[in-house]
Amino acid sequence: MKLSEIIIPKRINLNLKSTTKDGVLEELVKLLNLDTHARETVLRTLLAREELGSTGIGKGVAIPHCRSLVVSKVAVAVGRSKAGVSFKSIDKKKAFLFVLIVAPPVGDPPGDYLIALGTVAQGARLLTKDKRFKKIRDIRQFMKLIKELEE
Amino acid sequence: MNPQLRVLIALQDILLLLRDARDPGQKRVLGKMGLKINKLETLESTKADLERQLSPSILSQYRRAIQRHGRIVAPVIKSVCCQCFVRIPSAIDSAEDRNTSLYRCENCGMYLYWVDK
Repeated sequence: MKLSEIIIPKRINLNLKSTTKDGVLEELVKLLNLDTHARETVLRTLLAREELGSTGIGKGVAIPHCRSLVVSKVAVAVGRSKAGVSFKSIDKKKAFLFVLIVAPPVGDPPGDYLIALGTVAQGARLLTKDKRFKKIRDIRQFMKLIKELEE
Repeated sequence: MNPQLRVLIALQDILLLLRDARDPGQKRVLGKMGLKINKLETLESTKADLERQLSPSILSQYRRAIQRHGRIVAPVIKSVCCQCFVRIPSAIDSAEDRNTSLYRCENCGMYLYWVDK
């Protein structure tokens, strides 16, 4: 599984406006294009997950994630904040890249979900380490950079 | 969406989160990625808050189903109940009030949630 295979261009927002953790989560969930109730359910579960410990994994990356009944397959959304958002990350630094993963409950052990999480964690850290990441202007450039880093 | 169904789905998501958080294998894998899990007691209180929102009859059904199957709501995907994999009768599957009324699978008794309505 590659990062470029699980990210859909229409679920990328390179100009997140929010300055808070909750706001970023809301913006990311919106990208999944769920109905209002499903969106609220996912948001509630994500906030509950964040209460267990931040999903900010350091190096400017956060991977909010959960499993929820309201999705039928693994859904991924990507956001970038130019100013960065305090996400209570393990390195206590701001996060700039956010990759949301919502997976269905079916599948126990949750194989696809964990594989997707691992792929995202690895790929996202490579992305934020690259000097070009903050200069990217559009989604096409973003996808191109991901593919380059995967090679 | 039916308010009780919404609470049941939220509860099931929380239960799944708790189960995943308690799984040592998953905890180890997530830890390696830099994802730490602790403070499980906060989830227990969220779960209790949600349970208080259920009507007495649904609460007792919920408790029985969780004890027996570990879940109470089954997603319906492509007209099939994902708990027992039995096809939902077309009269129910095509009903206008799916998700706004409470429907249960005639085979396994799970409350049904149509994911791709």
